[in-house]
Amino acid sequence: MKPAPFEYVAPESEAEVLDLLGRHGDDVRLLAGGQSLVPMLNLRIVQPAVIIDLGRCASLAYLNDENGALVCGTMTRQITAERSPDVRQGCPLLAAALPYLGGKAHRNRGTVGGTLAHADRLAELPAVALALDAELIVRSEGAERTVAAVDFFLSDLTTSLEEGEMLHAIRFPKAGTTARSAFAEVGNRRHGFAVVGIAAALEVDSDGACAQARLAAMGVGATPVRLAAAEQILEQGSLSADAVCAAGDAAAQAVDPTDDIHASVAYRRRLTATLVQRTVHEAMDGTRRAAA
Amino acid sequence: MAVPDRPAADSWKIVGQSVPRREDAWLLTGKGCYVDDVPEPPNTLHLGFVLSPEAHARIVSIDADAARALPGVLDVLTGDDLAALAQPIRTGFLLEGHRDTSRDVIAREKVRFVGEAVAVVVAENPYVAEDGVERVFVTYDPLPAAVGLEAAARDDAPVVHEELGTNILLESTFTTEGLDEAFAGATHVIKETFRTGRIAGVPMEPRGCLATTGRAGEELTLWTSTQIPNIVKTALAKLLDYPESGIRVITPDVGGGFGTKAHFYPEEVVCSALALKYGRPVKWIQDRREELLTNIHAREHIYAIEAGIDTDGVIVAMRCDMMANAGAYSSYPFGATLEPVGGVRFVLGPYHICNYGYLTRAVASHTCPAGAYRGTAQPTAMLAIEGMMDRIARKIGIDPAEARRRNLIQPEQLPYTTVVGMVYDTGSYTEALAKALEMIGYEDYRANQPADRLIDGKYRGIGICCYTENSGMGVAAVRARGWSTLPGFDGALVRVASDGKVKAFISHAASGQGHYTSFAQIVADQVGVPFADVSIVVGDTGQTPAGTNTFASRGTVTGGGAAIRACLVVADKMKRIAAQVLEVSADDIVLENGLTMVQGVPDMSLTVREIAEVAYSMTSHALPEGEDYGLEATDHYDAGMPTIANAVHVAAVAVDAADGTVEVERYAVVHDCGRIINPMIVDGQIHGGAVQALGEVLMEELVYDEAGQLQNATLLEYLLPTALDIPMIEIAHIESVTDENPGGFKGLGEGGVIGGVPALTNAIADALAGIGANVNSNPLKPSRITELIDGALGKT
Amino acid sequence: MSGGTVEVRLTVNGADVVRRVEPRYLLVDFLRHELGLTGTHIGCEQGVCGACTVLLDGVTARSCLHFAVQVAGSEVTTIEGVTADGTLSPIQAAFHSNHALQCGYCTPGFVLTTVELLRENPTPDEAEIRQGLTNNICRCTGYVNIIKAVAEAASNMPGREG
Repeated sequence: MKPAPFEYVAPESEAEVLDLLGRHGDDVRLLAGGQSLVPMLNLRIVQPAVIIDLGRCASLAYLNDENGALVCGTMTRQITAERSPDVRQGCPLLAAALPYLGGKAHRNRGTVGGTLAHADRLAELPAVALALDAELIVRSEGAERTVAAVDFFLSDLTTSLEEGEMLHAIRFPKAGTTARSAFAEVGNRRHGFAVVGIAAALEVDSDGACAQARLAAMGVGATPVRLAAAEQILEQGSLSADAVCAAGDAAAQAVDPTDDIHASVAYRRRLTATLVQRTVHEAMDGTRRAAA
Repeated sequence: MAVPDRPAADSWKIVGQSVPRREDAWLLTGKGCYVDDVPEPPNTLHLGFVLSPEAHARIVSIDADAARALPGVLDVLTGDDLAALAQPIRTGFLLEGHRDTSRDVIAREKVRFVGEAVAVVVAENPYVAEDGVERVFVTYDPLPAAVGLEAAARDDAPVVHEELGTNILLESTFTTEGLDEAFAGATHVIKETFRTGRIAGVPMEPRGCLATTGRAGEELTLWTSTQIPNIVKTALAKLLDYPESGIRVITPDVGGGFGTKAHFYPEEVVCSALALKYGRPVKWIQDRREELLTNIHAREHIYAIEAGIDTDGVIVAMRCDMMANAGAYSSYPFGATLEPVGGVRFVLGPYHICNYGYLTRAVASHTCPAGAYRGTAQPTAMLAIEGMMDRIARKIGIDPAEARRRNLIQPEQLPYTTVVGMVYDTGSYTEALAKALEMIGYEDYRANQPADRLIDGKYRGIGICCYTENSGMGVAAVRARGWSTLPGFDGALVRVASDGKVKAFISHAASGQGHYTSFAQIVADQVGVPFADVSIVVGDTGQTPAGTNTFASRGTVTGGGAAIRACLVVADKMKRIAAQVLEVSADDIVLENGLTMVQGVPDMSLTVREIAEVAYSMTSHALPEGEDYGLEATDHYDAGMPTIANAVHVAAVAVDAADGTVEVERYAVVHDCGRIINPMIVDGQIHGGAVQALGEVLMEELVYDEAGQLQNATLLEYLLPTALDIPMIEIAHIESVTDENPGGFKGLGEGGVIGGVPALTNAIADALAGIGANVNSNPLKPSRITELIDGALGKT
Repeated sequence: MSGGTVEVRLTVNGADVVRRVEPRYLLVDFLRHELGLTGTHIGCEQGVCGACTVLLDGVTARSCLHFAVQVAGSEVTTIEGVTADGTLSPIQAAFHSNHALQCGYCTPGFVLTTVELLRENPTPDEAEIRQGLTNNICRCTGYVNIIKAVAEAASNMPGREG
């Protein structure tokens, strides 16, 4: 499986990238880490006339602390984010999810922005972005806009990025001392893509009760989805085993998965309930426990 | 003094040792040479195949103008063009009840499965070849497709081969006399239907070939990633109408075979035919998508079993109704008969079953052809009989191990002839079971197992597989199967060079199983030279004698047998020469560690080199009167009917009650393959097979939709086990040596998967037995397992 | 190659190389066919199997998922580059003595993955070894002996790359 021919350009500044994007219309693809794009090129699923390699734009890879947010430049390698003390401290949900992104060889080269812009419905970071209400900073020639995660992911492999636009950076809210988070996914094999995954971000109050719950699930829709029904139950405050169980069941009822060769609708619902319980328990007590 | 036909009992010294492998020297350091590594002559042409996107359709038109116009594309050829160069592939079987199929090397008029080639692009390099493939526009007139096994077997199913008028490519029945009466006399009759999903071998190296010609087309050399170079050679000669002696088939290093590469494929014909046509080397390397779409599939089986038992759980009568999905063509050389005939005959396992009948069918469908994949019906057959053993146990309330003990063939019954005529020569069925149960701590496990099997949120169970394995088939065995294109024998040429080093040329082909080491161990012992002084050549029809090559766990038996016999002839000549030089009787000479010497008198010795120099007339000492020059022998060995290996696998699993994932917590094997050449290599074969079984049971399945589209032709979606999925496998050995072949060897390549599939399935079944779930199919993905759990708990 | 070519310079196994290739030319093909370093293998061209694993600027990368032009200026290390003349490295020796390879097709990828694994974690436990190897597929060995080999290599080479 060899790619179709393309023109290749590797600009060294973001300005140049945006200029090229503006000029080449829709027959262009940005090459970030390539771990998602190149398989598609090799299979000839996509055949852009022009590939713009972001690998020479050093200014696109950064991790900055800005006003209570962690801003991650699009070309930050996943392994860099995974190992960053700032990420571990300031955005524990992101740190928890990153080890699930493929294997080490993928994370060495794959980028935080690349996987978000690619928006595979089974990718982990879109669910993390949704759970954290992250903001995606989008740039085009001469313009910048900020898109809330909930508005960014439109469908499988489809985002609200328009022609001429690129994802510049992602702003993740920093977790305070009251934040509790966990990430879990289960697939048909221990290593590999998930059938269902959940990113859970909770806020507790001074009594240890749940003040806020954000749960985003991947694998139950064409985009990651917030599990509002579960969140409502959890935000009633109690995190007893019964309450968490009820939250899981509510989530399972509310989601609308499809079946495929890997898993049935019933299984996806069941897994949703199970992973709600697992992530909430792990977020609260830091350990993985068997679900009830 | 006649040449002995058996090795001396005390001659096995290096055989039996875990000698580290010779081939690691090149494979570990990046110096392996697989078919895509073979140096390409500068004017090599590269092929790209245009594959049908339709499962069943008439080919209406092929427009290749745009492809031909592409710089770097030499030509595009269709099925009609290739038909002028090569005949279609037919198995030519001589087997009653088999309906043969004809497969054009590139489809003409009709396509019969998604992935069947309809045109070939000839280009300057592989990238341009793919560009060309994209520019060939084919119009099809789609026809209804028969895809699933049961659907394709129906009378009203779309017919794959019109001229046959049916999709039943084989129908065969058998019964012992008085079977109905035997059933009538049973206390209970237990019925179950076992269904297994389609899978494939998926070697890490896809296939490929490089065809070159020499001497103005009088020589054709085909490098191909195959397990069967001699079979490929004779097939090519026939289909190309080309002198067989002008063809040389070479296997370079092969990145895994597993039976997938023990088939003859159309691309091998196309590469060869086009090399002859253009007078230039022609190369083709398969990609992973093509590998999954078009390489032999296997194991889409249904077994409907009825077992009549007495009050003790002993089987007094059994029936087996089996179907196998054969795909679109009867594959070459084993055909559509391979799985269905094997399944109903092997299902008897190591059990004493006297009253038996079967009906078996091979069903054609608009899917990739099926054939041999490691184990070849034995894994599913043992799944069926071992599943019945557990059901017998549950029915009469005894332990599953006890149900087996009551049915196993006892040691004193060996040699044992089954009712279908298979002879079990030697074996250790009861001993292996006892030992395996002890290894895994079976009694304690059962004693501590709660009725509902649930511990810490996981259902835990233990599963057993006792199996017999068909190995080492020779001429009689292949004739009995009707395989007219398989000779059945193998050959070895053992040559001592004038420097005293030994080279053995054996008609097998290596694909990772350690031929360069284990065959060298045999030769070193039988010629009496150090291991380091022996080298092995396999996989080259230009160098080795004729033979049947490597599949069905026959390499050790047939290659080892031929090598031993040739070695014995050479050794005998060495003794005669030594005797003459040393002026003693040949009866007093022994070969040991590079010396030919008078037994017990090391001072009276000659080195192998000194003997060889006499044989090659390079010394003043004359060759003894009546001897011929040179120091070599060729033997063609016929192993006859198979020798039967056996083993017991026991697996302990934990099934997560919430998410249905399975962890294999313990895995023990007691394995008997007769005399072991290299224990380390045997263990490696068992590990590999058992993990393939784990894949087969837990995660592998090739899924076609109703239109015949393969849904998961990538490794992202066809899941293979990784290092996180496996148990550390514990192995013990028994050696029930057989007299059936000179080495006393039995085959072993397939045992890991044969034992693993039933053991793992039964373990999961046992784990869920406490809640009353019935487990009778593979694969058992988490989704299926939770469905079984919910169904049993009344939650659906 | 059919399209326009560009010049690419990189360092492979310590040697500087310069070639002209099409932009779409995969790094794995560049290594294998331009440079004749056939020890790196192609198993899927999707980045799943790991047979194409090399070290790219010191870290493991899937050479089937990179274009030669994309890694201009980088350092690539292949199996040939971690093999000393005439001897086996501690990792290779451990694979050999533990029978951690059969057909050998996946093996270079496993060796390079192990090089990185042990460099970053010289004393991995079994769970860490399994996790570190999970991204490489082997169809022959069933991984049992590969896990043993990596454990043995770790104990034989404290803190040293090889």
